[in-house]
Amino acid sequence: MFNSTIEKLKAFKRGYSVNRKHKMIGWFFVIPGALLIFSFYFYPIIRAFLLSMQGGVGNNLRFAGAANYQRLFADTLFKKSLFNVFVYLILQVPIMLTLALILAGILNDKTLKFRSFFRTAIFVPCATSLVSYAIIFRSMFALDGFVNTVLMNLNLMAEPINWLGGPWTARLLIVIGLTWRWTGYNMIFYLAGLQNIDPAIYEAAKIDGASAFDRLTKITIPMLKPIILLTTIMSTNGTLQIFDETKNLTNGGPANSTLSVSQYIYRLSFEYVPRFGYAAAVAFVVFIIVAILSFFQMKVGDER
Amino acid sequence: MNKKLTVLFFMVLMVAGFTTMTFAQEETTITVWCWDPNFNIYAMEEAAAIYGDLNPDVNIDIKEVAWEDLQTQLSTSLSANQTDNLPDIILMQDTALAKNVNSFPNAFYDLSDSGIEFDNFANFKVELTKVDGKNYAVPFDNGAAINAMRVDVLEEAGYTIEDFTDISWEEFIEKGADVKEKTGKPLLSAIAGQSDLLMIMMQSTGNWFFDQNGEPNIADNEPLKEIIRVYQELLEKEILVQINDWNQYISTFQSGTVAGTMNGAWIIGSIVPVEEQAGDWRITNLPRLANIEGSSNYSNQGGSSWMVMANSEKPEVAADFLDKTFGGSKELYEIILPSSGAIATYLPAGDSEVYNMPHPFFGDQKIYTEIIDYAANVPEVDYGIYNYEARDTISTAITQIMSGQDIQSALDEAQSTLEFQMW
Repeated sequence: MFNSTIEKLKAFKRGYSVNRKHKMIGWFFVIPGALLIFSFYFYPIIRAFLLSMQGGVGNNLRFAGAANYQRLFADTLFKKSLFNVFVYLILQVPIMLTLALILAGILNDKTLKFRSFFRTAIFVPCATSLVSYAIIFRSMFALDGFVNTVLMNLNLMAEPINWLGGPWTARLLIVIGLTWRWTGYNMIFYLAGLQNIDPAIYEAAKIDGASAFDRLTKITIPMLKPIILLTTIMSTNGTLQIFDETKNLTNGGPANSTLSVSQYIYRLSFEYVPRFGYAAAVAFVVFIIVAILSFFQMKVGDER
Repeated sequence: MNKKLTVLFFMVLMVAGFTTMTFAQEETTITVWCWDPNFNIYAMEEAAAIYGDLNPDVNIDIKEVAWEDLQTQLSTSLSANQTDNLPDIILMQDTALAKNVNSFPNAFYDLSDSGIEFDNFANFKVELTKVDGKNYAVPFDNGAAINAMRVDVLEEAGYTIEDFTDISWEEFIEKGADVKEKTGKPLLSAIAGQSDLLMIMMQSTGNWFFDQNGEPNIADNEPLKEIIRVYQELLEKEILVQINDWNQYISTFQSGTVAGTMNGAWIIGSIVPVEEQAGDWRITNLPRLANIEGSSNYSNQGGSSWMVMANSEKPEVAADFLDKTFGGSKELYEIILPSSGAIATYLPAGDSEVYNMPHPFFGDQKIYTEIIDYAANVPEVDYGIYNYEARDTISTAITQIMSGQDIQSALDEAQSTLEFQMW
């Protein structure tokens, strides 16, 4: 009885237990970041949601409830833009990530000559400006541009392809551009991941007679899983919000067949009669789609 | 808050009948946002110099802001009610004027009673700067459409520029096909998926994509169908070639692969730099759509006007500045024309010596007086609030029609898209 009182008194004197103190210090470090994230991420998200409940044009906004979200279902342009970004997503993300993985595998080979040169060369595209590469692609793929000239001189084609003129060739062009720009970026993540795999595992596998393909599918990919998951989520997120490429390469054309959701939001806010509420609703739908897709990817990718 | 009070205070002063003189005695700075150093900014600088002699207490501070940035900043600031960073005067694309005035009521200063004489400007242009009967802008550059042609190419085929003056599109197609056959050169080029040329043709008929009540009028728009028919025929007979972007468009006539172009008068700025073609060019009016009642040989493409922002601390000083320069100074227009080719819609300037000067690049044709004459004849249309939406839906419909869809179904689709966007 007496002893326990002393204990309590001692605890009171010390103020907080060591454990508690550690936690306090932890919070101390977390709080500035958390506050910044709250004020620059969560607060705008909440405000965007509130804005998406408002209808009307320009400054004449009034509360409209879910009217903006109902409007989405009737909006052919919104559906078209959503279809377009899913085309990019389904075509481009797997191609890019597979390529990045293969390139990372090749560049991880320590016997390869000029390794750092290749690594830099493949990474450089993602240090270029989005706008300038889009404009260069545009001129390269013009009717009398570089690509058509090369293809014709190689006698691969009789007539030049009007890349920017057809809906599917224009979409393909966006996919090619995106792949060129972002493969190196994802490759760097894989290369970093590969550094963490113990070479002894590969040696053991080789001794057991595993082929290169076996080593890739049974060792590399499973061990890189968390990083593959990370790159998939990042790429999905990036592709769904694509703006610069479609704006500068094709400007959404021909006949809106490359229009992306972000570009549609831009048009709704700054080119058309401004409907900020509706634009916010479109943006919010993209946010929800990204959240759902990321959730699924995490469920599929994470077995813990 | 303080600022609002100040604005209120000045407004009270104004109502009380104090003239601008009362507070023009202290130093005032008027900021202006506009784009294009060789054209708008240059004109503004000259205007500032002229006003400096009349009213030395006013500084004009000009800032270069590209149109797209200007619109973005305007929309963002106005929708957030943060007007501190906005200037006193902006240059506004005529196509976006009604949209902005309607979206942001009270953001722009009503110039109707500012003393500016709007009768001195081309009618069609004043009409574009009016919303609900109020004048919101001082008209500036002239977008009157011209048909610029290479007479050396026409001569090869046995034609002169007179053969292309005051004609109909039927005649244009007939002669154009002949020129194409004899010289191998098309007469026009247009950017695929953009409707600029169609818009020019549309305005020449005095119609637009909305009816009197502002409702979309696309599916049953007979002039539009006729225009699409003409456009298709031009393409089929290879009188018109399609390219993919603006730079290619410019290079088609600069490199001489195409023997002419139709656009707003400002396109002259892109024609004259090619010195080896000096003397080969002439301008004339547009072909008209003979099957459409009320169709004319005149139209308009592009153009912009000066607006005063309501958030300005001294809107009446800004308005006075515009009145004394762009709204009433023949001298200003005489200064800016020769060096920048900035052709105005200020009609009295047309009588001036400078405008009567023959232009050596156009074989000593008096192109400026011609253009001022065209401007006076351009049919008035109301672009409406939803002009950008209309432009995009029409462009989409045209692309679909060119890739094989039938006209009516593409236009029906465009009609319902536009109806949805206006809903």
